[in-house]
Amino acid sequence: MLKRKFIILVVVCLFLVVSSITYAESTEKSGEITIWSWDPNFNIPIMQEAAERYAKDNPKVTFEITELAKADVEQKLHINLASGVTAGLPDIVLIEDYNAQKYLQSYPGAFADLTDKIKFSDFANYKVGLMTLDGKVYGVPFDSGVSGLFYRTDYLEKAGYKSEDLNNITWDKFIEIGKKVKEKTGKAMIGFGLDDGGLMRIMMQSAGKWYFDDKGNVNLSNNDALKEAFKTYKAIVDSGIIKKTSGWSEWVAAFNNGDTASVVTGVWIIGSVKADKASSGKWKVATTPRLNIAGAVNASNLGGSSWYVLENSKNRDLAIDFLNQIYAGDIDFYQKILMDRGAVGTYLPAQSGAAYSKEDEFFSGQKVYTDFSGWIKAIPTINYGIYTYEADAAIFTVMPDVYSGKISIEDALEKAEEQLKDQINR
Amino acid sequence: MTEKGISRSFIKPRDKYGWLFISLALILLGVLLFYPIVYSLYLSTMSSKGIVQKFVGFGNYVKLFQDSMFILALKNTLTFFLIQVPIMLFLALILATILNDKTIKYRGLFRTAFFLPAVTSLIAYTILFKMMFSLDGFINGVLLNVHIINSPIPWLLDPFWAKVTLIIGLTWRWTGYNMIFYLSALQNIPEEIYEAAKIDGANKVKQFFYITIPLLKPLILFTAIMSTIGTLQLFDEPMNLSQGGVTSATIGPGNSLLTLSVYVYNLCFKYMPNFGYAATVSYAIVLIVALLSIIQFKLMGDKK
Amino acid sequence: MKKNYSINRILVYVFLVFTFIVSVFPFYWMVAGMTNSAVDVIKGKMTFGNQMLSNITTLFTTYNMVRILLNSLKVTGFTVLGILIVSSMAAYGFQIYSSPAREKVYGLIILFMMVPFIALMIPLFRLIVKMHLLNTHSGLVLTSIASVFIIFFLRQSFKAFPYEIIQAARVDGAGEFRIFFSIFIPSMKSSYAAAAIYSFMASWNAYLWPLIILQTDKQKTVTLMISSMSSAYFPEWGVIMTAIVIATLPIIIVFFGFQKYFVQGMLGSSLKQ
Repeated sequence: MLKRKFIILVVVCLFLVVSSITYAESTEKSGEITIWSWDPNFNIPIMQEAAERYAKDNPKVTFEITELAKADVEQKLHINLASGVTAGLPDIVLIEDYNAQKYLQSYPGAFADLTDKIKFSDFANYKVGLMTLDGKVYGVPFDSGVSGLFYRTDYLEKAGYKSEDLNNITWDKFIEIGKKVKEKTGKAMIGFGLDDGGLMRIMMQSAGKWYFDDKGNVNLSNNDALKEAFKTYKAIVDSGIIKKTSGWSEWVAAFNNGDTASVVTGVWIIGSVKADKASSGKWKVATTPRLNIAGAVNASNLGGSSWYVLENSKNRDLAIDFLNQIYAGDIDFYQKILMDRGAVGTYLPAQSGAAYSKEDEFFSGQKVYTDFSGWIKAIPTINYGIYTYEADAAIFTVMPDVYSGKISIEDALEKAEEQLKDQINR
Repeated sequence: MTEKGISRSFIKPRDKYGWLFISLALILLGVLLFYPIVYSLYLSTMSSKGIVQKFVGFGNYVKLFQDSMFILALKNTLTFFLIQVPIMLFLALILATILNDKTIKYRGLFRTAFFLPAVTSLIAYTILFKMMFSLDGFINGVLLNVHIINSPIPWLLDPFWAKVTLIIGLTWRWTGYNMIFYLSALQNIPEEIYEAAKIDGANKVKQFFYITIPLLKPLILFTAIMSTIGTLQLFDEPMNLSQGGVTSATIGPGNSLLTLSVYVYNLCFKYMPNFGYAATVSYAIVLIVALLSIIQFKLMGDKK
Repeated sequence: MKKNYSINRILVYVFLVFTFIVSVFPFYWMVAGMTNSAVDVIKGKMTFGNQMLSNITTLFTTYNMVRILLNSLKVTGFTVLGILIVSSMAAYGFQIYSSPAREKVYGLIILFMMVPFIALMIPLFRLIVKMHLLNTHSGLVLTSIASVFIIFFLRQSFKAFPYEIIQAARVDGAGEFRIFFSIFIPSMKSSYAAAAIYSFMASWNAYLWPLIILQTDKQKTVTLMISSMSSAYFPEWGVIMTAIVIATLPIIIVFFGFQKYFVQGMLGSSLKQ
C-alpha cells in the first residue's frame, strides 16, 4: 500500500519535473539581439541595463549593442535601407523623434508595426503621435526632451528675483529679468548660439505650432508663432543679455563656467549641468518661458528619441518582446536609469516611482523629476512632419540678416519660405 | 636608324609588361570603382524619397540651376578654393625649400613639427580650433593682449570671420602635408644643379624660381590637383567646426561654411534622403574639378 | 655682403620658429587636455591637471581600447603593404611603359578620383554585401589597396627618374621585374617613404567607409571610437583627449621611422656613385 503510494508519488513527481522542463524549454527564448545606438554616457549604458534585466529572465538571449555617433547611426541606417540589403541591419535602432516620420515615410515596410504589441496608452501622448503613420504605431517611446528653465539661484537672488518670479513667465519677461541680472551681476542670462535652432523649436512647440501645418504644407510666412519666435530671437540678441557661443561644447562651457545665469533646454542636459560639482545647491528649475501669443503654454520639448524594430531583422519578435518587457513594463528599470543617468522616460506608470519624487540636493532640494513629469503632460502634441531639418537650414540662412537688421522679419520669413519650398520640391 | 629594328622587337614584349604592371590595380579599380560610378550615374536620373523613386531623366541637372542652396554651396566652395589653395601651396613650397637647405640647423625638428598638424585626426583638430577661436578663447586673448585688436573678433559667429577661421584651420592642417611631397621630390634633385647655379651667381630667390619650381612642376601639379579635389570635396572641417550638438541648424553662421560635399551629405543623410539628386550634385562636383584640373594641366604645360 | 646674408638667416629662423610654435601649440593643448577632467577641458584650461591616470583607466576599462588599437593596426598594416605593392606597380607601369592606350586608361582613372565618395557608397555597399565581406577587415583592406591618389602621386614623382638607368640595366640583361624591384625601388626610397606615410595616415584616420562596412564594436577602429565618444550629450573630453593622443602616436612613430629617407637625396647620392 505504502509502496504503491510511494510509486505514484514518484511518478507524479517525475511527471511534474519532466513537464516543467519541457515547459521551460518550449518558452525559453534564445537568440542575439543587435542594437545600434549613440551616446556612451546615456543611451548605451541605459540599453545595457535593460539588456541585463532581460537576460536575467532569459539567459539564452544575448545582446550586441553597437555604439556609434548619432549622425553615424543615421548614415548607416540610410545606407542599409537604401541599398535594399537586409544582411547588415540590426534588430533595434534608436531614432531621434524629429526624424521618425522621415524614416517611416521614405522606407515603407522597413519598420515593424507595433500597434498591437505594446500598450501605448501607458506612454506620453505627444510621444506616441510622433511615431504614428496611417494609424499604425512603429516605435517604443523612450526618453523625453521635456524642457525647463534651469537657473542659478545665487545670481537671480542678487538681481532681486525669487523662484516664483521665474515660473510661468513669457519670453518678454525673461528678457527683462535677464537685463536686471546683467546689471546687478555682470553675468549673461543665457548662452546663445546664433545659428542654434534649439530655442526656436522650443518656442514653436510651446505654441503648439511647427514649420508646417497639419497637412504637412510649408507654413512660415503666415505663421504667427514663428513670427513671434523671430521677434523674440532678435530681441534676445539685441538686449545684450546673452553670451554668444558657437557649437555644443562652448554652449555647455558657458553654464559650467558660471558665465550665465540660466539654460533653457531639454531635461537631458541635467548630466551636463551637474558635471560642475562646485555649483551644487545653487541651481533650480522653472517652467519653460512661453511665447507672447494666445494659446502658448509654459511647457515644451527639445529632442528625445525612441526605439524602432526592423521588420526584416533576424530576431524581430524577440526584439519586440524585449522592448515590451523592459521599456513598456519594468517600472524599477525607469527608476534606475533616472537615478544613474538622469534619463526621464515617457512611460507614465514609472513616474509614480520613488526616484521620481526624490529631492535633489544639486537643485536646492527641489523635486525636479516630479516637476518635469508634470510638465510632460502639458507638452502640446504636434506633427514634426518630414522636413524639419530643411526648415531649420532655410530659417537660419536668413537669420544673420535679421540680427543685423538688414531685412525685416516679414521679408526674412518670406525669403525662408521660398527657399524651403525650393528645397522640398527638388 | 638601325635602332628602329631593335626597339620594335623590344616594344611588343615590353608593352605586355606595361599591362602586367597595372593589371592588379586595374582589376580592383574596375570592380570597386567603375561599377559604383556607373550605378550612381544611373541614380542621378532619379528623384527619390528614400526607396520611393521616380525617373526624372535630366530633371535633376536642370534643377541644380534653380536650387539656391546649391548655388550658395558652390559660391562658398569656390571661395575656399581660390583663396586657400594658393596660400597653402606657396607656403608649403617655401618651407620645403628652406628645410632642404643643409646649412639650416635643427632641420629634423622643424620638419617633424611642421608635419605634426597633418597627423591629427580631423575630428581632433576641429575640436581644438573651435575652442581656440571662441569669442573669449585663446586667440582673441593673445590678440587683445598685444593690442592688435581692441575688441574680440567674432571668429565663428559671423559669416565672414567663420570663413576666415576655416581658411586658417585648413592652412594649419594641410601645409605640412603638402610640404612633405615637395621635400620628397627635392631629394630627387641632384645637388649639383644648385651648386652650378651658385657658381653662375644665382641667389637663393633666383634658385627658387628658376630651379626649384620648374623641377618640382610635376609635383606642384599633383598637389594643386589634389588640393582642388580636396577643397571641392571639403567635408569634415566645415561639418565639425559648425556642429552644434543636437540642434545645429546651418553649417556655420548663415550657412557660410556650407560646401558642396556637405550639401551632398545633407541630401543623403540629414534631409529627406534624395540619393538621386545627391548623385547629381556629386557629378556637378566632378565636372568642376575636371574643368579646374584641365586648366591646371594646361597652365603647368604638363603633357599627360 | 656677409652681413646681409646673416640678416636673411635671422629672418629665416624667425619665420621657422614662428611656424614651429603655431604648428606645435595645439599639441600642447591636447596633451594638457589628457590630464584634465571633462569640465576643465571645456572651460579651456591650459595647464596640466591630475586626471591623467583616471582618464587612461576609464579609456582602457570602459572602452575596449587594446582590441580597437589592434584592429586599427591590422587594417592599416595590410592596407599600406597592399598599396605600396599594387599602386606603385601601377604607377611604374603607367610611367615607364607609356603607351597611348594606357594613357587613356590613366586619364579615366584620374577622372574617377574626382567623384565624391559619398556618391559611391550605396553601390559599393551592395557589392561588399554580395561578396560576403560585410563586417570584415578584409573588405576594408581590399577596397583601399588600389589607391588612385598614390598611383597619381608616385607617377608624378617617378617622372624625375632618369630613364637611361633602366635602359642601361636592360642592356646588361636584367629582366623587367628585376629592374623594378632591385634597381628602381631602392633608388626611389624617399617617394616610397612619402607614399607609406600618406597611406598609413589615410587608412588610420579613415572614417566614412569603415563606419559603413564595420557593423559591430568588436571590429571597430580607433577613429570610429573617438567619433562615437565625442557625440555624447555630455562628452568626457578628458578621456577623448587621451584617446586622441594615443591614436595619434602610431602616425608620429611611423613618420619618425620613415623620415630618415628625407634626410639625404637618394637619387642624388645614387647618381654620384
